[in-house]
Amino acid sequence: MNVKVGQELPELVKHPTTRQLVQYAGAQGDFYEIHYDQAYARSVALPDVILHGLLKAAFLGQLITDWLGESGTLRTFEVSYRGIDMPGHPYRCRGRVTRVDGEQVDLEVWGEDDAGKQTTSGSATVQLGS
Amino acid sequence: MSIQKGPTTSGSPATATSVVERLRARIGVDGPPISARVEAGHVKRFVEAVGDPNPRWSKEAPPTFLVALAPVSLHLAEAEEYGKGWLNGGNRFEYLAPVLIGDRITATGRVADVYEKSGSTGNLLFIIFETDYVNQRGELVARLRGTAIRR
Repeated sequence: MNVKVGQELPELVKHPTTRQLVQYAGAQGDFYEIHYDQAYARSVALPDVILHGLLKAAFLGQLITDWLGESGTLRTFEVSYRGIDMPGHPYRCRGRVTRVDGEQVDLEVWGEDDAGKQTTSGSATVQLGS
Repeated sequence: MSIQKGPTTSGSPATATSVVERLRARIGVDGPPISARVEAGHVKRFVEAVGDPNPRWSKEAPPTFLVALAPVSLHLAEAEEYGKGWLNGGNRFEYLAPVLIGDRITATGRVADVYEKSGSTGNLLFIIFETDYVNQRGELVARLRGTAIRR
């Protein structure tokens, strides 16, 4: 795998729906009402139900493992949730290579809302080779 | 109309301080270990919910699956006296060995830190959780650090 600093990962655009949030709530076992109960979400001053932070992390994980394929292993993966995202709006996952040190590659990854605002930022370290 | 003076309401400095103090007393204390098997059906439901069809996940758990195996944070009833709701501030995963379908994983969580910060819309309470994941051979396979915020 030929990896260079500055190289962008092929972007991944997700189209989350309320149905997906319910599906994810069940699969993760996180039944906090802000992710599927609109009246509850509004009662805690949110504009609508919002995506689970960890669902956005899973999307960014998918971005990395899709790019990596069988060429390496994920070592560290870190995400900060800086803004909320709501179903019905595309969520764009992007990333780029920030450092290459032999077989160790550092990535910057982030998620953008439909206005291009970075609502999730993160980083990852991968080890190339198997 | 008479207004009765009630007890100090939640969010006032006195209550907030004692909540922080009570939570800080739990720093570094391991919660009960939770063991669970990585089941093919569970991983399948998880990756279907994410929309990640990578065939690799028929043998191996995807990067964030461990959060579905055991609760990512200890239940801290006293934290809910602070503010109105929870927000997830961030997560950090460290992977030391692969997690395969069929593995039996034991998760042990603890509170790593508790602190208050003032934000633009009032004070926020930060609780840092750490979880260690060990497989059936006693190998540490992953560590997770999470920032839970009460607002």
